[in-house]
Amino acid sequence: MSKDVLVFIECKDSMPRKASLELLSAGRQIAAKFSSGLSAVLIGSGVKRAADVVNAYSDKTIVVDDEALTDYGWDTTSSVLQDIVKKYGPMIVLGTSSMTGKDLFPRLAVRFEAAMISDAVGFDFEGDGLKIKKPLYGGKVISWIAPGTDAMLMATFRPNSFAVSEPGQKGEIIEEQANIRKNPGIKVISFKKGESKKVDLQEADFIICGGRGMKAAEHFSLLEDIGDIMGGRVGASRTVVDSKWRDYDDQIGKSGKTVSPKLYIGCGISGALHHIMGMDTSKVIVAINKDPNAPIFQYADYGIVDDLFTVLPALKDELKESREES
Amino acid sequence: MNVLVFVKQVADTEARIIISSDQKSLEIENKYVVNFFDEFAVEEAIRVKEALKDVEITVCTFAPARATEALRTTIAMGADKAVRIDSSKFETDDPLIIARILAAYAKREGFDLILCGRQAMDDESANVGAMVAEFLNIPHVSQISRLSMLDPGRAEVENEIEGGKKVSEVALPALFTAQKGLNEPRVPLITGVMKAMKTEITVLDPASFETPFGAIDNGSSNIRVLSYELPAKRPSVRIIEGQTPRDKAKSLVKLLGDEAKVL
Ligand SMILES: Cc1cc2nc3c(=O)[nH]c(=O)nc-3n(C[C@H](O)[C@H](O)[C@H](O)COP(=O)(O)OP(=O)(O)OC[C@H]3O[C@@H](n4cnc5c(N)ncnc54)[C@H](O)[C@@H]3O)c2cc1C
Ligand SMILES: Nc1ncnc2c1ncn2[C@@H]1O[C@H](COP(=O)(O)O)[C@@H](O)[C@H]1O
Repeated sequence: MSKDVLVFIECKDSMPRKASLELLSAGRQIAAKFSSGLSAVLIGSGVKRAADVVNAYSDKTIVVDDEALTDYGWDTTSSVLQDIVKKYGPMIVLGTSSMTGKDLFPRLAVRFEAAMISDAVGFDFEGDGLKIKKPLYGGKVISWIAPGTDAMLMATFRPNSFAVSEPGQKGEIIEEQANIRKNPGIKVISFKKGESKKVDLQEADFIICGGRGMKAAEHFSLLEDIGDIMGGRVGASRTVVDSKWRDYDDQIGKSGKTVSPKLYIGCGISGALHHIMGMDTSKVIVAINKDPNAPIFQYADYGIVDDLFTVLPALKDELKESREES
Repeated sequence: MNVLVFVKQVADTEARIIISSDQKSLEIENKYVVNFFDEFAVEEAIRVKEALKDVEITVCTFAPARATEALRTTIAMGADKAVRIDSSKFETDDPLIIARILAAYAKREGFDLILCGRQAMDDESANVGAMVAEFLNIPHVSQISRLSMLDPGRAEVENEIEGGKKVSEVALPALFTAQKGLNEPRVPLITGVMKAMKTEITVLDPASFETPFGAIDNGSSNIRVLSYELPAKRPSVRIIEGQTPRDKAKSLVKLLGDEAKVL
């Protein structure tokens, strides 16, 4: 049986998300191993433009562009994706473990009796098969999970799990008509657009995160400045969110978001396990804390033991300079 | 109205987890709690009951006997009935199988409203809720941060989706998964704890009831855990030395560029 790979692409502002390009890069390796094809599917309204980017990573880019798909709903999106999966018959369907991915994939997995593995961070091959790497217990344990050989695999991966490869030869773009099925039980009353942050916290390459040591909401402008210089985002510990210095959207940790940026800098954060669980898959971790015994230093690659209010302004200047040089 | 809440008992954050020497199994220190997000689900069910009065709350788990304690916690909070579907003959962590079993129970009993947590803290899979809804062919809304009951047989919920907040009106029966912020879970009162000690917990053998949504036996899972391992350990921290904060910041940025190569 051929093991074709299909990647469900998510867009933001009509362009493919970086996390989706990462999946295509991973999908390419999987397809190469099984000598199979790699397809991408774009479902939404005004997504044709994104197809021209996606195209350079996949053999086939399937586009379902329909105004009725402007706002995501699991009912409409899954009906279209279901039809595409039926028609093209992939054995491996990949998505992002974003809010959308987590909402959509489980329903689809039921329809195909698929092996569903979510919130994964990597893969490898074992013999003739594929195995998926997934953290458990807040990252305390890593598990390797194999899908059954005859089963369709549906897997969602955390953003920043893979590097984006160089674009390759342009593949084919196929437009498909949608047969959209809406669930009659759900009526959307309103949709309030959030403040459009530059990048999503979970997708950001760079995160600077503030804890109780920041002392007050207004001091977060220091972190915002550094976030802007680095093209990244500001995160927060739960204490900070509970004190209403930052929104819950920004919370990193067990009861907030799980992030794995290239570089995470924690400022005035003690490093409670609940927080660590949300960030310890970051590539490089830096901690700035005035207490040399703060637990966060056990998880960090680099540490500065000092008052963050003196370190951060200097760090901002240094980062700015290094950015300007490169 | 009948409200069903799915709860999972999970290892506490502090519990020690030991990987067996053959890497095939885990030994978990006996420190278990009600899953963090499930507490919001239980609390919300109790608030629905307080608002509408004629409501019965059933809490259900698919778990071994140790989870009785978690069920008692939810009774102490204010749930009416607790059911444990015994998992001791099953080895599965497959969300599809767990959802088949939980959905079969829900179908058998019939419920107007089903609540569960956004995700379990142990497997972090966030699958079971939406899967149960799919099996039952009812709508679901993930990660709700507000719920109000409308008459008749409808609910209004708010949830966060990519790009913003959505308010939807949903016809019951429906399933909602609870996000932090939905409410503040109450701490059980002593009277609740006393009641919970006396409440009988129904134990069901999954083999004893019909499973209309597909096979649930040990061979039917499409996933298999090959091995467990510890996460790669980071080398111990390198503390940046320097006379002044500026020196330290300078050295850090240099190391991040030259050594860590992340700038
Ligand atoms: C069920 C549960 C879920 C939880 N989920 C989360 C979660 O998702 N995310 C999360 O973050 N937490 C979570 N927590 C809370 C967690 O246990 C900690 O309480 C929290 O992370 C501590 O936040 P903090 O590090 O900002 O504050 P603190 O622990 O108070 O640490 C402040 C640190 O700042 C340092 N500091 C102070 N002033 C300065 C200065 N001028 N310069 C430099 N350093 C300074 C101090 O030395 C200290 O180390 C959860 C807890 C529970 C029980
Ligand atoms: N074994 C189980 N028994 C009862 N409820 C469960 C079980 N597993 C998961 N759930 C429910 O489904 C939610 C999501 O779990 P998960 O899909 O495992 O992340 C949990 O918060 C629980 O409400």
